Amino acid sequence: MNFPFLTLITFIPLLGAVVVALIPGRREREIKLVAVLFSVPSLVLSLIAWLLYAQNAGEIKFLEEATWIPTLNAYYRVGVDGISLPLVFLTTLLTTLSLFYSSYTIKKRVKEFFALFLLLETGMIGVFVALDLVLFYIFWEVGLVPMFLLIGIWGQPQDRPQYSAIKFFLYTLVGSVAMLLAFIAIYMTTGTWNILQIPGLKPLAGNPGLAIAAFWAIFLAFAIKVPSWPFHTWLPDAHTAAPTAGSVVLAGVLLKLGGYGMIRILLPFFPDLFKQFAPWIGVLALISMIYGALVSMAQWDLKRLIAYSSVSHMGFFMLGLVAAAASLEVANPVLTSRAIALNGAVLQMFNHGIITGGLFFLVGVIYERTHTRDLKAFGGLSAKMPVYYGVMLTTALASLGLPGLAGFISEFMVFRGAFALIPTYAIIGVVAIVLGAAYILWKIVQHVFLGEFSEERWQEIFNPAHWHFSLDMARFEVITMAPLLFFMVLVGIYPAPVLNVINAATTALLAML
Amino acid sequence: MQDVPTTWFLLLGAILFTIGAVGVLVRRNILVMLMCIELMMNAVNLTFVALGRELGSLTGQVVVFFTIVVAAVEVTVGLAILIELNRLYQTADVDEVAGLKG
Amino acid sequence: MRPQLPTLDLVPLYPLLVVTGWAVLVLLADLFVQHKRALGYLALTGVIVAAVVTVALWPGVPTSFQNMAISDGQALFFNLVFLVTGALGLLVAIEYLERKDLQRGEYYALLMFSLAGMIAMAAAEDLLIVFLGLEMMSVALYVLSGSNQRDMSSIEAAMKYFILGSFASAFFLYGIALTYAAAGSTNLAQIGSWLSGRGIPKDPVALTGLSLLLVGFGFKVALVPFHWWTPDVYQGAPTSVTAFMSVGAKAAGFATLTRVLYSAFSPTFTTDWVTVAAVLAAVTMTFGNLAALVQRDVKRLLGYSSIAHAGYVLVGIAAASPVGVRGMLFYILAYAFMTAGAFAVACAVERREQSTTTLADYAGLAQRSPLLAAAMLLFMLSLIGIPPLIGFWSKLFVFRAAVEANLAWLAVLGVLNSALSAYYYAGVVVQMYLREPGRSPAEEVAFRPWRSALAVAVFLAAAATVVLGLWPGAVVNLLMGV
Repeated sequence: MNFPFLTLITFIPLLGAVVVALIPGRREREIKLVAVLFSVPSLVLSLIAWLLYAQNAGEIKFLEEATWIPTLNAYYRVGVDGISLPLVFLTTLLTTLSLFYSSYTIKKRVKEFFALFLLLETGMIGVFVALDLVLFYIFWEVGLVPMFLLIGIWGQPQDRPQYSAIKFFLYTLVGSVAMLLAFIAIYMTTGTWNILQIPGLKPLAGNPGLAIAAFWAIFLAFAIKVPSWPFHTWLPDAHTAAPTAGSVVLAGVLLKLGGYGMIRILLPFFPDLFKQFAPWIGVLALISMIYGALVSMAQWDLKRLIAYSSVSHMGFFMLGLVAAAASLEVANPVLTSRAIALNGAVLQMFNHGIITGGLFFLVGVIYERTHTRDLKAFGGLSAKMPVYYGVMLTTALASLGLPGLAGFISEFMVFRGAFALIPTYAIIGVVAIVLGAAYILWKIVQHVFLGEFSEERWQEIFNPAHWHFSLDMARFEVITMAPLLFFMVLVGIYPAPVLNVINAATTALLAML
Repeated sequence: MQDVPTTWFLLLGAILFTIGAVGVLVRRNILVMLMCIELMMNAVNLTFVALGRELGSLTGQVVVFFTIVVAAVEVTVGLAILIELNRLYQTADVDEVAGLKG
Repeated sequence: MRPQLPTLDLVPLYPLLVVTGWAVLVLLADLFVQHKRALGYLALTGVIVAAVVTVALWPGVPTSFQNMAISDGQALFFNLVFLVTGALGLLVAIEYLERKDLQRGEYYALLMFSLAGMIAMAAAEDLLIVFLGLEMMSVALYVLSGSNQRDMSSIEAAMKYFILGSFASAFFLYGIALTYAAAGSTNLAQIGSWLSGRGIPKDPVALTGLSLLLVGFGFKVALVPFHWWTPDVYQGAPTSVTAFMSVGAKAAGFATLTRVLYSAFSPTFTTDWVTVAAVLAAVTMTFGNLAALVQRDVKRLLGYSSIAHAGYVLVGIAAASPVGVRGMLFYILAYAFMTAGAFAVACAVERREQSTTTLADYAGLAQRSPLLAAAMLLFMLSLIGIPPLIGFWSKLFVFRAAVEANLAWLAVLGVLNSALSAYYYAGVVVQMYLREPGRSPAEEVAFRPWRSALAVAVFLAAAATVVLGLWPGAVVNLLMGV
């Protein structure tokens, strides 16, 4: 008798959403409490699942299967491996933290916020655990609507939340309908929606033209979500407009849906096509990395800056993926380079979730106090808010890839793999690291914390009447950041527990191609 | 009468039907449009009767009886609507009845 | 010697007889009953009885009424769709007429007569019965459209619907005549065997007849380029009527269209009508969605959206396969719940004096009436085709059928259209959820959704949208027997 880990992890938040919806709207304290409590079991269960999985990693675990729509041959089929487990854990962790953080900061339409957020969690986890294309697609879309509403309703009015929300919605939808068509085409030739079986059946092998179309259709859906240049334009708008918790989950988890899809579906389904088009996708990755970093550097809005840095950092992920995909039939010694690149790519997703999620929380910290994110308005805050300075500095340095913190490990692995396999791309890609250091040190650290502190300017933006907690990071903000800092440091100095799990799965994946 | 071939009846039916259809499309007075629709219906009736005789089957004639009833019903409803329309708009010209746009 | 009467097997016609008889009953009861609201419930009882009878006949009776009527699985499935629509339409009307001060007995009787026409259409095995059913349905709907005599737009809608409807009927009738000329019969099965017996070359008279029939159907189910009456009529007619006819009339049209194409004009003419249907489907969905993009009135927007959905349904017919027919049947059921539900919400939002149906009237609905807004959200998402709602499966089924039938281009176009349609459906969601209410709550007419028949309709439609979305297999299993 298997314990249904994944079903519980996925659907307890949904149950929570229903319970929250049934509580009368004016009982805001109870709503917040219930919402946070309902997100905790998933977090605990996903941690337990991770620990259980780590004992003998490798293939898909916690498989659950049930017939769902017999005439369509669609199954309820879920399972995880070392690639999806860290992301499931990332989702549950960031959701719980977001709900906890939001219970202090969300003031309007509380009930809807928490119900939607829990629904969003179900959708996100579902994508990571689904092993049936129909189920995958359903979860993929389930998360869309709550996020649309989160951006639209709780976005800051000056950031055009409605425009951003619709843009996010339509971009994602266009990608996903293209993906759906490709899925149908794949089903026509293989007769199954089983994500684990399809690679062995060589989908669309008999029809190269259709295979290429399907490849790009699926790529489009995932590239929009990642987002890769030139499909990234929804991201800065959506991030900027979203409420803090929305941005955290958007950057921390939603972008990973695209990355995860590339690894779980695109690469195993079409390994040869991926190899064939790897140079092009590599170019997209490079452009994303460098363009994202350059635009980041030009921003004066702190949140927008971090949004563009996401484009850059997810470009690193894509570079790792391209490196692993670009050299399919090269013999064994290089397999290690491929594995390193792919491990780096997966770890980069996990790290980016932890780090950028943290950065968005930290933007929220300053925004809640001053209601501005204009970098020119700050300066010299290191003395005024020393704890905040320390936490932000650590997170920012993790983001730029300082050795000893999480970001370094994954970026190093991506480049270690890329230098061996696609050296030209790797050399160009290094520019992005340099640029990353520049915008983080110059823009964030310099403009916010160092420099001249002007009391006059501070009086202008900070109104004590609007802020009831301590000026420096309040306790709830510290509690929110603590687990993230813990993982940044842990992965930075002792990545083995995370990497072992990832490595087992990526090796299995690469061996299968 | 025996000399008139069925084709002529069919042709006449087609011509009457066309006249009626064109009338509905070009005339703007609702009453006239109503009459044109009646003309179309009766053109079809003629066709049915002629075909029934030609094919030697009773269906053609039977259909005509039903069609006459249906046409009568349509006229009744149509005139009722026209009266209501006239009461509210004081006109029978379709071009003046154009509140719904989008 | 006693005269020999033909044996009449009335069993397949029981649903039709129940509905017709009940309609007469409602009409008579109108003379004695003071509370017209009670007549609504009386009619509702009749619909439920008819539904029970329909279910009891499942999986269909092969014998037919002098070869004029057939009650196979398809006809019974359509009966259920009509009856569900009728029930929703009645529940909506009971409340809506009260609020609009239009409460009258003949409304319910007419609705049931129209329902009887639809059932006759789905059961018709003879073009004459098709025509009679069509007229029975249409005439009742003309009157219903104009049932708000104080409202100029209601009368205008009735007039436009009447003129174009009877115009289309005349074309349809002429199509019957020419088909009769070519095949010597109005019986669908006999036409089918006669036409395919002749083989190639195709009979030009029959082809003309088919074209005229298609024009007639095109008007009835609002295919581009025969659609122009739809937005005006849907917008002008009382919203409770729109809720009923937007689904019922369209479903009935498709029920007969399928039968005429599949049994009378197959296989000799299959390639012809497949091409026509595919092109009409492509044009219809694209135009419907494009036109809906710029609408500011919710009823009108839903009118254009219904045109687009007629295009999607036609995709299933164009596939010309059992899979396509099942997809189409599923689509119509899904469409019934989504669209009737959306119009029911529109009824709820509308108020006594003005017709508050513009998008701006929906601003902040989520805060004024959260449950109503949530239901509308579900309908909009389902109409876009977002899983796991019923609208997703209906699209998946018809598009899959199209791909299997080598109409992949149509499926691609359909999917692109779905993405396009997301824009205007999302627009409604934006109004409801992202905008602040324009009026203060005090100005709102007191509306307590949890205590009205209207709320029951909205709830049933929303529940079906979700439940059948999670377990589409329930309906699919049913359809496998069709």
